[in-house]
Amino acid sequence: MNKNVKAVRAYRRNLSIALGLILLVFILIPIIVKSPYVLNVFVLVFYMSTLSMAWNLLGGMTGQNSLGHAAYMGLGAYASCLLITKTGANPWLSAIFAMVVVGLVAGVIFYPCFILRGPYFTLVSIAFGEAMRQFIINSSFFGRASGVGLPFGKDSWLDFRFMSKVPYYYVGLVMVLAIYLLMKKIERSRMGYALRTIREDEDAAAAIGINPTKYKIMAVVVSAMVAALVGFFYASYIRYIDPELMVQAKSTESVLPAVVGGAAYVEGPLVGGLIMIPLSEFLRANFSAILPGINMLMYAVVLLTVIRFRPTGILGWYMHSKAKEFVDVKLLKKPPVEVFEAVEMEKNRGKEG
Amino acid sequence: MLKVEGLRAGYGSINILWDLSFEVKEGEVVAILGSNGAGKTTMVRAVTGMVRPSAGSVNLNGEELAKKSSRYILDKGIVQVPEGRQIFTDMTVLENLEMGAFSKPTKAAFARNLETAYQRFPRLKERAKQAAGTLSGGEQQMLAVARALIGMPKLLILDEPSLGLAPNIVDDILDVASSMARNDGIAVLLVEQDITKALACADRGYVIENGRIALEGSASELSANEHVKKAYLGI
Repeated sequence: MNKNVKAVRAYRRNLSIALGLILLVFILIPIIVKSPYVLNVFVLVFYMSTLSMAWNLLGGMTGQNSLGHAAYMGLGAYASCLLITKTGANPWLSAIFAMVVVGLVAGVIFYPCFILRGPYFTLVSIAFGEAMRQFIINSSFFGRASGVGLPFGKDSWLDFRFMSKVPYYYVGLVMVLAIYLLMKKIERSRMGYALRTIREDEDAAAAIGINPTKYKIMAVVVSAMVAALVGFFYASYIRYIDPELMVQAKSTESVLPAVVGGAAYVEGPLVGGLIMIPLSEFLRANFSAILPGINMLMYAVVLLTVIRFRPTGILGWYMHSKAKEFVDVKLLKKPPVEVFEAVEMEKNRGKEG
Repeated sequence: MLKVEGLRAGYGSINILWDLSFEVKEGEVVAILGSNGAGKTTMVRAVTGMVRPSAGSVNLNGEELAKKSSRYILDKGIVQVPEGRQIFTDMTVLENLEMGAFSKPTKAAFARNLETAYQRFPRLKERAKQAAGTLSGGEQQMLAVARALIGMPKLLILDEPSLGLAPNIVDDILDVASSMARNDGIAVLLVEQDITKALACADRGYVIENGRIALEGSASELSANEHVKKAYLGI
């Protein structure tokens, strides 16, 4: 057998073992770590990474750069909070309600935009986010600028309400895993292939019988629904929401984990989220008292460095350097082909030689 | 096989094609000739349903396709190799070919068509696992043609296959096109600016000027035509 094939198999095996261990560590963290602050940072990592995965379905996989994901998240949060406070519905039901409503709104709003080409989608997504925020600020039904609070009370799984951070930690972890598996499933499905071809070349996709508008709408609806789920989780965790949730900066924040981690990969937002959110929290906790705003400046420097020197993200860089060990790099071009294609190539070479 | 009559199409309020009529028979290579901006690509887009014609008929083996969706037209057997190749450069060669079967779900048919495509273009088999963007220009054009063949065309439309390729590679591609027409009975509609090469390969041809058919005739008639000589061949 080809020596490289063995090496590749060993690499794959080690990778799954490593991922299993990482998951185990995440399951054990709340048992070992008691600090509510640290747990809070992890909860933040979980829901921001999920939001970033939602963005990545559109921005990374389909190549449609959205800058309005905070709006979907905010609308999801409002839909679920209002349903709970106005009708006394069960929070878990309100999550489904929020996802359906936000999915519908996104589909209806963006249907006309996808017929247009190029940056129109990005522009509309920015305008959409701001319009929704202004609408909520001016609507008494939505509680205007003072926001909506969820009722407090005894700890309860049925009402998804806890004093401790540990239950939120585990629900957040399950949410990350579930959405990750969903994205992985989409990536490998017919839809995933259609989205990839749209990202690469819309005209060519149309020439082989893919309807770009249909698949882009599907992507925006699924993406908005996941963002709404994050909104529900956020509202249940913080127990208070206001229109500030939907400011433009929050939308940008949802893009960063994916871009830093590697937007071409489903795993990108997870890697990016795990690095960037604790970093941002660390800088805020340790430096903002010294000189207000210095933490944001430092964060920006890290961000610019990554984008300047590793434009395919941390994962893209890692995958590429790993693939070099197995195969002639000239045959690999951009991210999606890398390590696992190298594995396939080596397997074939093994068969033939 | 394909009969287009009185086809009118354009973008928004601007009309590009004025009552275009032409015909392609089974096993025939028909060239559509014209300079930049004559309306060739708009014609391709109107026939394949990517632009909705405002009037006229596109008839394939007796079925009217003029108002149908591009997916439907593709399923009926009109497959195009778009201008500028338009392969998916970040996907592997094999993935590109798989995408050619997007609207044809059967696995058995795909395996058969893949084998045929590989026989026709052995280079692609050698490079199946390579990113398509790392292929040479000629290989990319072969890939685009092979991807269209996977879709089992009755009528294959080649939009400017000569674009950006060395002359001997253009000859190879055109050879493949004419052999497909002669041996497999696939009708080929060859849309070209390079009139000499196109007429050397085609049985018949039409010349489009300003969105109208200006001339039509057999390949030899057209190459001998004074207007064609003066306006396109520079003799």
